[in-house]
Amino acid sequence: MALSPRYVLRETGQNLWRNVLSSAAAIITIGVSLWLFGGFFLFNYAVDNATARWEGGIEFVVWMQPEATAEQDANIRNSIEGSPAIKEWVYVDQNQAYQEFREIFSDTPELIEVVSPDVLPPSYRVVPENPDADVVAELSDQFVGRPGVEEVVSADQTIRDIQRLADKVTRVFLVGSVILLTAATLLILTNIVSAIRSRGAEIEIMKVVGATNWFIRVPFMLEGLVQAVLGAMGAWVGLRILDDTVIKGLSEPDSLQLMQGFRVDQGEFYSTSLLVLGIAIVVSGIGSAVAVTRYLDV
Amino acid sequence: MIKLNNVTKVYKGTVVAVRDVTVDIAKGEFVFLVGPSGSGKSTFIRLLNREELPEHGTIYVAGKDIGTLGAWRVPFLRRNIGFIFQDFKLLPKKTVAENVAFALEVIGKPRHVVRKQVPAILELVGLTAKMDNFPHELSGGEQQRVSVARAFVNRPPILLADEPTGNLDPQTSVGIMKLLDRINRTGTTVVMATHDRSIVDTMRRRVIELDRGVVVRDQARGVYE
Repeated sequence: MALSPRYVLRETGQNLWRNVLSSAAAIITIGVSLWLFGGFFLFNYAVDNATARWEGGIEFVVWMQPEATAEQDANIRNSIEGSPAIKEWVYVDQNQAYQEFREIFSDTPELIEVVSPDVLPPSYRVVPENPDADVVAELSDQFVGRPGVEEVVSADQTIRDIQRLADKVTRVFLVGSVILLTAATLLILTNIVSAIRSRGAEIEIMKVVGATNWFIRVPFMLEGLVQAVLGAMGAWVGLRILDDTVIKGLSEPDSLQLMQGFRVDQGEFYSTSLLVLGIAIVVSGIGSAVAVTRYLDV
Repeated sequence: MIKLNNVTKVYKGTVVAVRDVTVDIAKGEFVFLVGPSGSGKSTFIRLLNREELPEHGTIYVAGKDIGTLGAWRVPFLRRNIGFIFQDFKLLPKKTVAENVAFALEVIGKPRHVVRKQVPAILELVGLTAKMDNFPHELSGGEQQRVSVARAFVNRPPILLADEPTGNLDPQTSVGIMKLLDRINRTGTTVVMATHDRSIVDTMRRRVIELDRGVVVRDQARGVYE
């Protein structure tokens, strides 16, 4: 005596239709909250990608010329190793630089095709003892113009400001999405309780004739799931638009050089989408479970 | 078929609805439960359907101690017990056929079974011509026939009726009683709570009289008194 899919779909559809306005409210609330939640992750990914080479306290990078001699390279390395003002450093050779390049431009394979490791510069990424801007500037200046050095780039105040701003923005996204997700859970719960009350007579008959508890509960639980999945689909469309317009727009070639690494790759986008769907299922599960266990006396 | 041993039901710790009741009802019997309002008739019926649990005593239905049934098995008990309400409890937005089919659908009966059993039971209760009507288009007697059809469509061995003629005029009540008598003759055990003196006196079946929760009379081929 299994649940008939036809029966479950019919009952779920009727429940949704009876509460069409509040169902729409729940779907929109879930959609917006999941969009904020997904946006939090996308912005985090984008900021991480844009500032990846400045993580871990790295304050400046000494880019070597690809054709620098071993002697020139050893000279720079000795200076870095011997400097008491340098806390730690990392050497990124051409192969590692190529890997990094592939990751950054994973969405543009045509660019990867025309670049090979030998044209990419190796680099020293330096963490100074004192991160004060003046001290860093003085220290990094010691490497400017030396033989074999292509360029010295500092993580200036702008990058740090962007990281701090991004932290604040994503925190607002996260807090906003958690508040809205809570509201969405309550809306799903309210909708199901309302459906349960409007079907009180049917539920009474179902109990008297011997319907099992799950037979009575499943259409209500499915109602919550449908609302959540529709909300997640709306959020997915919103995230796609966010990625295609705002994030990709910021990383256009004519935008600030700093923002050119501001991007989200496809893997990150789809993992965020899956997470959004998972959260939707959890939200509907909580709302439905509370509704059918506390308000549906079977 | 039904056996109550020293059953006591108390509401809110002080109101005794049924007190130390011991009754044995055989398969195929037709039993009237009589007594004034508040005498415990409805509680008696609700105990048989496991809508209530007794404070003391044991209740056996079809050989099973229903007091010890796990909650998940209660629905399966109820599939063996048809229930007829005084106020019919039909679903207003469903047609006659849909109301009856609903009782089969919600216990997971396949469509071909529903399609076969619904017309058959509607023929038994004489409502074939009205199967597509909605409850508000029917008379009280017809609505109660739909309620009987819904209770019996799954062919349960036991039928419980809580004052099924309470909302009907005497002539219509006779029609409902004829229908219940016909169902009883198929071997179905019928337990019916009623205030209707003329029905009890006319049918002359077993009568169990309750007064303030106590069985004061249990008489074969009895009258209302």
